Amino acid sequence: MKKITITMETLYVSKKEWDGFIKGKSGDIPLFAPVDNLGTLFYNRVDASNYADIAYNRARPVEPLKMFLLPFKERVVPSVEDIPDIVVMGAAACDIQGLKILDRVFLDADYKDPNYSTRREKTLIIGFDCSSPYSTCFCELVGVHPYPEDNFDINLSLCEDGMLVDIGTEKGRRFIGSDQRFFEASGEQRQKREASRKKVVEAINENNRSFDMKKIEKIKGAYQTELWKVPKEVENCVQCGSCTNNCPTCVCFFLEDTGNAEKSAKTKVWDSCLFPGYARMAAGASPRPSLYDRYANRLLCKYWYMIDNFGITGCTGCGRCIAGCAGKIDKRAVITEVLRETDTR
Amino acid sequence: MDKNIYEPVKCSVTEVITESPSIKTVVLKPEKEFSFLAGQFASLTVPGVGEAPFTPSSSPFDREKLEFTVMKAGRVTDEIHNLKKGDNVGVRGPYGKPYPLDYFKGKEILLVGGGVGLAPLRALFFALMETAENYKRIVFCCGAKTPEDYIYKDKILGEWHNFCDKFPLSFRITVDKKCPDWKHGEGVVTKTLDGLDVDIKNSVAVVCGPPIMMKFTTLKLLEIGYEDSQVYLSMERKMYCGVGHCRHCLIGDLFVCKDGPVFTYDQLKGKPNIWI
Repeated sequence: MKKITITMETLYVSKKEWDGFIKGKSGDIPLFAPVDNLGTLFYNRVDASNYADIAYNRARPVEPLKMFLLPFKERVVPSVEDIPDIVVMGAAACDIQGLKILDRVFLDADYKDPNYSTRREKTLIIGFDCSSPYSTCFCELVGVHPYPEDNFDINLSLCEDGMLVDIGTEKGRRFIGSDQRFFEASGEQRQKREASRKKVVEAINENNRSFDMKKIEKIKGAYQTELWKVPKEVENCVQCGSCTNNCPTCVCFFLEDTGNAEKSAKTKVWDSCLFPGYARMAAGASPRPSLYDRYANRLLCKYWYMIDNFGITGCTGCGRCIAGCAGKIDKRAVITEVLRETDTR
Repeated sequence: MDKNIYEPVKCSVTEVITESPSIKTVVLKPEKEFSFLAGQFASLTVPGVGEAPFTPSSSPFDREKLEFTVMKAGRVTDEIHNLKKGDNVGVRGPYGKPYPLDYFKGKEILLVGGGVGLAPLRALFFALMETAENYKRIVFCCGAKTPEDYIYKDKILGEWHNFCDKFPLSFRITVDKKCPDWKHGEGVVTKTLDGLDVDIKNSVAVVCGPPIMMKFTTLKLLEIGYEDSQVYLSMERKMYCGVGHCRHCLIGDLFVCKDGPVFTYDQLKGKPNIWI
């Protein structure tokens, strides 16, 4: 199918003017952005007191964007009231890509999640380009670039003295409004951005030289327990759930009933397919009794089941599952080895 | 404002029937109309305790009541077994794809049920009997561990045989381990498939029971000549949302809640860990 490129509106604003603009906005609406805490980026509420601390265009924060749309614990019956409008800045391309999976799950035409669509509508998303990817970043290996191209309201790319501002939606347009501090970006500014972006892509590919995920579709059907015992790291999985918690596309949850016959409530809570109890049924039977089955399941879900369910890969290459793994497992190495093993069978 | 997908329909318990030492049927009166097609399931909520998915065992044509036959197996089912007349529960659904009765028309239908697996088959049996003239023949194979463990015993051994006068229906009944006054067959339910005189080319087999029973029944059916696509299985997995969001019920990429719970064997082949 021929790819149709629609030229997005791109503006330019000086850094100083942008700072003033965002300081003003932070008084009107809750604003969240990545802030450096001892070298690591975490989302913080920003306002007039700390807007200067926003870490622009470095890399993804620790927390995935899903944190704002799918709280760890959320009541569904009765559904939550008073969901506020918020602005989230600093969404990396991997997280913005992850939104596509979240939307396909929870904005289901037949069964809409009671709270997700409200939060989604009320969250303005400002993406950032990445300029300093981590060694664990591998977005390029799964077809995602280290800069958002679509699915955002606004995207910011730092440039000389200022930033390029892509307008992605009507909502993004309205956020900027007719503010006189924004000008149309020049062709030269766009070209310079192309060049910087290309360098970051090269850096990521360089970081991932020793991993081979080109034939990732071969993972379909590769579910045998014995296969996943081959990479030695897998046995280091301690089923902590760090990978599932931090993953931009992991959506699994369980439902908890509380109260009594007169007044009861139902709450949605994050779950992890790594936990032994995740799939275990009442009488104790489980389709994945072995740690190896459960470890494999998460990867099979990302690279096989989600593709069959949604038409797109469940993994966006953010690397949080690698960076946060308590067992220090690099799943890129595991996948490379499993794919090599399936080749020989 | 969209209706909250997790809000159940309130039902009151009108009767609790003890079917066997570990199985009870709860009879419910929904506050407002709750209809389903045979093969679909509903999520039964015990307020403040939890939910679990069950296929109704009552006839889909029964407007007055909704019945669920439940085995005591864990936290939620323990509480279901404690329900009394007058208690309130919640039901949400129906979910999932029903048995394709249109496709079954003109065919010889083989029903094979084991233990509490007879519950969903009861609903299907009533649905079939309601338009019995649509089907060429029905053979109902039933199994249980012991005579004491048989659910709907007086119906299976007695009342339902009355249909046999008006329609080509036959029963093949067995228990794993019989007792002195047991008049029917002995052996696992797959034994009832020995000497089956069904026109397999024009037949479908609907199987329901514990995973191990479904596995061996499927293998036996294939052995006697059924194709993968002719074997219908009611699959079960851990469930929460029932609508394809929480992903707990996946068998490979298939959601038991929305792609199932009824699958043909050819859909399942090649998926990980089919038989628990």
